[in-house]
Amino acid sequence: MERTLRTKLHDRHVELGAKMVEFGGWHMPIQYPTGIVQEHLATRKEAGIFDVSHMGRFIIRGKNALPFMQHVLSNNSAGLEVYESQYTIIPNGAGGAIDDSYLYRFYEDEYLLVVNAANREKDWDHFQQVLPQFSEVELIDQTKELSMVSLQGPKSKDILLGLMEKGELPDPMRNELGMVTIQGSEVLVGRTGYTGEPICFELFIKTKDVVALWDLLMDQGAAPIGLGARDTLRLEAGLPLYGHEFGIDAEGKEIPMLAVSLARFAISFSELKGDFMGREPLMRQFEALKGIRNRDYSLIKDLPRLVMPVALTAKGVARAGDKVYRNDKHVGYITSGTMIPFWQSEGEGLAARFIDEKGMRGICLALLDSDLLEDEPVEVESRGRKLPGVVVPYHLRSEAPPYARAIGFDQLHPAEEVIPDKETKQKVLTLLDKARENTYWRQKECINLIPSEMTPSAMARMLSIMDPADRYAEHKQVKAFCEAEVFYYQGTDFIGEVESLLVDELRKYFGCTEVEPRLISGQMANTAVFSAMVDYINRTDRKVEQRRMSHVMNHHIIRGGHLSAQPMGALRDFVARDPKTEKPAVVNFPVMADNPYRIDVAACGEIIEEFKPELMILGKSMILHKEPVAEMRALIDEIYPQCVLMYDMAHVLGLVGPYYQQPFAEGANIVTGSTHKTFFGTQRGVVACNYKEEDLGYELWEALERRAFPGSVSNHHLGTLLGLLLASYEMNCFKDDYQKQVVANAKAFARALRDCGLEVAGDPAFDYTETHQVIVDVGYSQGPDIARRLEDSNIVVNYQASPQEEGFTAAGSLRMGVSEMTRFGMKEKDFEQPAQFIRDVVDGKKGVKEEVAAFRRRFLDLKYCFSEKEFDQAVQKLHELI
Amino acid sequence: MANEDMKFMESHEWARQEADLVVIGVSDFAVEQLGDIVFLELPSKGDNVNKGATFGAIESVKAASDLYAPVSGEIVEVNEALPDELEKFKSDPHGAAWMIKVKPSDLAQLDDLMNAADYAEHVKGQ
Repeated sequence: MERTLRTKLHDRHVELGAKMVEFGGWHMPIQYPTGIVQEHLATRKEAGIFDVSHMGRFIIRGKNALPFMQHVLSNNSAGLEVYESQYTIIPNGAGGAIDDSYLYRFYEDEYLLVVNAANREKDWDHFQQVLPQFSEVELIDQTKELSMVSLQGPKSKDILLGLMEKGELPDPMRNELGMVTIQGSEVLVGRTGYTGEPICFELFIKTKDVVALWDLLMDQGAAPIGLGARDTLRLEAGLPLYGHEFGIDAEGKEIPMLAVSLARFAISFSELKGDFMGREPLMRQFEALKGIRNRDYSLIKDLPRLVMPVALTAKGVARAGDKVYRNDKHVGYITSGTMIPFWQSEGEGLAARFIDEKGMRGICLALLDSDLLEDEPVEVESRGRKLPGVVVPYHLRSEAPPYARAIGFDQLHPAEEVIPDKETKQKVLTLLDKARENTYWRQKECINLIPSEMTPSAMARMLSIMDPADRYAEHKQVKAFCEAEVFYYQGTDFIGEVESLLVDELRKYFGCTEVEPRLISGQMANTAVFSAMVDYINRTDRKVEQRRMSHVMNHHIIRGGHLSAQPMGALRDFVARDPKTEKPAVVNFPVMADNPYRIDVAACGEIIEEFKPELMILGKSMILHKEPVAEMRALIDEIYPQCVLMYDMAHVLGLVGPYYQQPFAEGANIVTGSTHKTFFGTQRGVVACNYKEEDLGYELWEALERRAFPGSVSNHHLGTLLGLLLASYEMNCFKDDYQKQVVANAKAFARALRDCGLEVAGDPAFDYTETHQVIVDVGYSQGPDIARRLEDSNIVVNYQASPQEEGFTAAGSLRMGVSEMTRFGMKEKDFEQPAQFIRDVVDGKKGVKEEVAAFRRRFLDLKYCFSEKEFDQAVQKLHELI
Repeated sequence: MANEDMKFMESHEWARQEADLVVIGVSDFAVEQLGDIVFLELPSKGDNVNKGATFGAIESVKAASDLYAPVSGEIVEVNEALPDELEKFKSDPHGAAWMIKVKPSDLAQLDDLMNAADYAEHVKGQ
């Protein structure tokens, strides 16, 4: 047994007064003078640094590196792109783990595998045994040459940004990688970690440079954290530790890999990966697990116990090895447990904040019978006493950056709000009164700057509640009648005519051949298109399982892409899984390095060539520029003409024209949109296309009509249809003035905000925006709070995560639109005061609300609508019919 | 620092005579060794303790340690507030962090324990 190893930072730890222990063959700090409790808390509230150089770091290279990794690692290494990392387990061939590990791909042809310190030699020997089966694989132990420091916690990003000289931080999603330069040294950065902190970085640096890096990080305020707190943090995050949740259990048996829920993300049965060590027993475990998820325990013998978080419900500490009972039956053992601290918080939801007080709670992970369910009470036998506990789904949640949020067992099922029962008459009067109050507030006292909202004209609103609002008018074109529309109900002559007129009016507006008006929202319009695509690509064989779209190109939601177009949104059931990545086959538009709001057109050709997307979706929810429709058309025609070019105009539907862009003239095949954002309409959706009857693509259009009706609607909400026709008359009549004014106002607003000292996003060369939107950066994670304060001052905007932020709870931007207020008559100069109001609210000035209400009183009349006296009588007659 | 009239066990408990009772706690050295103390399990008033046997447990993040009785007798007072005020171990381990008060069955048992100087020697080696 060689003498205990030391990392390059060893002496630093000793100087800092750390209590040193032997761990896995290394002399490591278990805690610094601050102590485990304070170190845990410091990581959760600020930032902590951890010397993890004791972990093993192996480089894998060579022509057959991939087949080797596919054989000895559980995850699909072929699905790992450059600048990505993945959790992966070293299987032992019998269904258990030799070690769990992380695979990083910083370079095209080189992989870095990080393994547990205690298992480094064992893992190395195991690989050496398997290597002879593969030629041309280089395996290099770089544990000494390459050191590793973990930087975790809400302040860790600022710390790293403050030290970076060159390079980019990895994209704000877990497992993304990047490379930066700090004090002249190259640092490999991964958004990975073992603490459950959403803002997390693991840094790899040449050993000769690691002490300087450590010192810099400490200077920036990162607290040194020892192995003791490393363990409490990972336990709170529910992360497994080899030797506790992997390896041998308390009864001396091998723990099946899939007993650990995280292992599901580390194991791939992909055909592309092929056979690997332990595939068969793992498949059996997987079948058992699927059954268990369905409460079907027929295969439970292949996975008799699962690792589950357990919270103690009375004061006490449960530790590894303690027995667990359910109704006096022995159901398993604690695998890890202790008492840990957490920050108390006040406030609810987005407004929740840590206060300066801590609490302590006894939490564990336990290997328990697989048929135990969440919320089941258990008892833990600890030092002769029986401690009460409960099975919980998690102890901590990481999806609300910048903080990890502790969840106590008593917070899992918040009591439902009791709505006091009132007398019906009272309920009705309250409702009427509150509706009036709310409408008055928004219509008379607020500056409405939410970019997706609009006030329709009184005439449009009036028409929306006339009789058709309560009727049906399902109809279909019938070929037997030479494509005449056949209506299924009586009483539809009027609305039938309205719908024809609407289609005609919208065709004029878009300059296109066809319009489908029956969708009742923008998202529904998109879903209908996706459904039509699937219908269309399968039209030549209806008997087989209908395939999904093989690849779709879109804007990632982080960069402002529509929710509809994401795999988690409407696109989910219409896009296939990419067999290589085992994820939805979506590829994102690349963006310009100096302006994340613009597509990098030059880089698109390669992507189209490689992935051959069947559908390309332009259009964004956070949109400051024109979309490169003509450029994409040219690329598609040259490289992959089968690609359907769709522009989800949503926000900018009301700007189709010379002051923004005309997508069909530029070559778009399909345009979708909501009719209630920049367009004057009632709340509906619309799909337009430019296919002519003789085009092959016209069959896609016919599919779209079927997927609209009967695919998406039976009743297509005739009231708002009627209102939309009037709104279309308004658009076609007033668009030249309106569109010009909207874009001018947006630029003026952007300039005014900048002049108030606020950070306006976008390119100053364009006056920051080419649309109705203006985006202002208010500071990382400040968005929700400032938006709330603005609302309290009668300025209604929405907070938005910018492309650099990890999630909407850490939103640092405000997204605003000028179209509604433009319709209320505001001109360029009029936006100077609202800019100042916003500045005042950000600065915390009081009394802004009254000034805003006074300001709004100057802009109460809706413009760009038919308000002349000649219409009054006709409108009055409608009022009388309500 | 230890008071001159305190006696110590090798397992780091201290005992101090106060009138006809023996007050018992753990030494500042033990507190320092344990690190953050997260849990304290104390017996009840009226229980009996036996010299050398466990009477409770003190737990840190990393481990649980048994508490051993320096003398035998009946527990007449327990520091009930202490489990909720564990910071007292850091601030006053030899005073406010007393754990139990025992009516000793044999006061002479105190003589078997180390005095402050001997205990200081004993922990120097550790």
